[in-house]
Amino acid sequence: MNPQNLIAPSSPLGNPAPFWFITFFKVLGFTLHMIPMNIWYAGMLLIAIFATFGKNHAKELAHRLSGSMPIIIAIGVNLGIIPLLFTQVGYYQFYYPAGVLIAWPWLSVIFFLIFAYYGVYVYSLSVRNNKETKFALVSAWVSSILFIVIGFLFANNFSLMVNVNEWTKIFSGTNVAGAVTGQALNTSDPTLFPRWLMMFGIAMMTTSVYIAIDAMYFKKASTSAEYKTWAGKFAFGFFTAGMVWFAVMGSWYIFGEIDKYTLAQLHGDPIMHAVFLLTAISPGLVWIAMFLQRNGVKKSSTIMAVCGQLAVLTLNAVSRQWVQNTELMRYRDLSKEAVNMQWSPMVIFLVLFVVGLGVIAWMISKVMAVEKNVASTQNQ
Amino acid sequence: MHYPWWYVPYLTSPMLIALIATIHIFTSLYAVGGGIVLAGEVSYAYKVNNTSLLDYLRSHTFFFILLTVVFGAITGVGIWWIIGLSSPLATESLIHVFVFGWAMEYVCFLLEITSAFIFFYYWGKLDPKTHKTIGWIYAVSAYLSLVLITGITAFQLDIGNWTPEKGMWSAFFNPQTFPQIVARSGASLLMASLYIYLHAAFKLKRDINLRALVETRTATWSMVGAVLVTIGGAWWYYDLPASSKAAMAGASALNILTALVFVASAIVFFMLYFGPHRNPGWINPGFAILYFVIGIAATSTGEFIREGVRKPYIIYNYVVGNNVLISEIPKLQATGYLNGGVWTKAFVRAHYPQVFDSEGNIENAKLLQLPENDQLALGKVLFQYHCNDCHSERGFSGVSEYTRGWSESMINTVVTHLDKAHYFMPPWCGSQEEAMLLTKFLEHISLSSPAGMKFSGEITQPKPDLTQMRIGGDAK
Repeated sequence: MNPQNLIAPSSPLGNPAPFWFITFFKVLGFTLHMIPMNIWYAGMLLIAIFATFGKNHAKELAHRLSGSMPIIIAIGVNLGIIPLLFTQVGYYQFYYPAGVLIAWPWLSVIFFLIFAYYGVYVYSLSVRNNKETKFALVSAWVSSILFIVIGFLFANNFSLMVNVNEWTKIFSGTNVAGAVTGQALNTSDPTLFPRWLMMFGIAMMTTSVYIAIDAMYFKKASTSAEYKTWAGKFAFGFFTAGMVWFAVMGSWYIFGEIDKYTLAQLHGDPIMHAVFLLTAISPGLVWIAMFLQRNGVKKSSTIMAVCGQLAVLTLNAVSRQWVQNTELMRYRDLSKEAVNMQWSPMVIFLVLFVVGLGVIAWMISKVMAVEKNVASTQNQ
Repeated sequence: MHYPWWYVPYLTSPMLIALIATIHIFTSLYAVGGGIVLAGEVSYAYKVNNTSLLDYLRSHTFFFILLTVVFGAITGVGIWWIIGLSSPLATESLIHVFVFGWAMEYVCFLLEITSAFIFFYYWGKLDPKTHKTIGWIYAVSAYLSLVLITGITAFQLDIGNWTPEKGMWSAFFNPQTFPQIVARSGASLLMASLYIYLHAAFKLKRDINLRALVETRTATWSMVGAVLVTIGGAWWYYDLPASSKAAMAGASALNILTALVFVASAIVFFMLYFGPHRNPGWINPGFAILYFVIGIAATSTGEFIREGVRKPYIIYNYVVGNNVLISEIPKLQATGYLNGGVWTKAFVRAHYPQVFDSEGNIENAKLLQLPENDQLALGKVLFQYHCNDCHSERGFSGVSEYTRGWSESMINTVVTHLDKAHYFMPPWCGSQEEAMLLTKFLEHISLSSPAGMKFSGEITQPKPDLTQMRIGGDAK
């Protein structure tokens, strides 16, 4: 079976926007989605561990994280819509078959996410009501495990998407009269595990930066100086562990499992070569910022870490997108798809996007004003 | 055809869309209507300075967030998942037409999430004016998301004057958009009221006065909802394309269900008027549950009808139920369905390379020269891709039941004239030889006429069990 023959014909409708626009919003959306997603991905495991075994400040960290986790998840799920939307517009010929081939595990993401999210609420509410029951602890553990499983399933679909050779194997092994049972996983793909595990390293780094932000800016009135010291030290250690994890898994992927075609393309593209190099070393800059606050969180170092981590995530998203486009180029050049430009809907979307961000900024400014008043009242 | 088909035994994979979409609509309607009612009631409570009502509304907002932000939002994402798995070609088409509509809806979602959390978590901390404004920001953005998604689903039922060159707005402003917006606006207010009754019946069990106040005020919203559902429903029916009206006329079950929805809306209106509106304190927990269950049943029925009358299309005059573009049908009829399908062709090439010509196309005449078992196997492939969208073999809408007692020639006549036999079915999208393969497969799995039925003096007998006869060796 020639894998090239399994790719669906192009949509007669044409893309509603140029390929660069679709890719830009996909990358932007994924970068924004990664921020909250990283925090729940590594953060929930941290909550479960510290809620069960932690004492004093470690327990306090679990409680603080759990307070904001429901909101972080809600925002993160929402921010995931845009990359998913533009993946379906620009990459449909690869996204849909991969999903159908692993349909049941892929669909289970939804059920796992519902249970994981309610588990987060159970633990968060138990902390809010000062009733940390065993059920709440179990919920935190179940949620954290489910989030990691969901990450694994995402890695499955998105690695299968670019691995068309694997489609033929799965199709041959799991069809009933040519229709697939959807019970497969992409586990024979050597890139699956490093891809999945690499994200956990990035998640640890982002969570570390969030811990510093939380200690520095949130719940100011009830945050002790001792906690700030502890949080700085812990965030530095956790970030270092995440960075090492990321380096090991990234090396496994780049030097061990990535296909030769993609690597050859990378070597032939000096700009992307530089971007990849920056992607690899950028966590080092954040590490310096975290190092500077290892004896207690500091405003300037936290801001530096935030900016640095945003750069880390953006570079990661750009590099991943380049790898995806290059891997798919072996089968089809998606940038050559016909374009049936939809100008007015695009302009209205962009205007609405800006207006929406403005309204959100206004609401947040009101919240910040309230927080400021509360803090100043408590200080008096 | 363009994509691999997902085989879900007994149920069919599109039924999973119905399952997830129905569950989602219970909370998504509440997410919209509840937002409007909460914003309106909070504004009222501030105006009359009723702190106990504000306290109740705060507790209801938490219930609202727990249900809509978690269950409602994730089942909404679930619809994305399942339509991509069960109807990939239609989803691909919809997303190419409406990507910016969905992107606009995403902005609405962001506003909803942010405003909902601030509305709840900063209750009592924000000044009343800001608090009310944030409540209304939620209500407006939630309502806009209803408008956007309704335009898209309405397009599936009737594309109106849309052609691919005309773009999104022509698709969005189709004849079904406004009737469905009116009906769904009403349904959202009605569902929100039922959730409030349910919550208040338990939460305010002992506070009779406050419960009576909540009931009276909510009744007004729900009566407006009932009226809008009736107007929108009638308008929807009036503007239905002829194929949908015919589908309704031909399916007595749909007629009965539609009548039930209209009658139920009228009954609900009068019950609301003579109940909580005129006689506050009427709704106890048992009655609230009953009311809620009726609401859920009516909503599911309405959605079932809305989906049912769309047959044979997923997108009217653009994609038929079995994920084939209308424009592809003539070619498929000329050169064959198996040949035209990306995955069916790959399957045939892997198992029956002898039927391919030198140019890499399937020679349809050679299909009928294959051994009988192979013809049955290919008939089953055709069934999976051409029929399994709506029919299982044995199970939901099982063809083995529908073809009970049919002869081979009867089956073949229906297969080759699908859209003539039943106008809510797509036309046969393959060659005559392929129709024969499918016929043989259907004949193979069809059941005999039910035993004991008497026509013209002759009592039907069940088909002999061929397997048993072979094993026992007494076929004679």
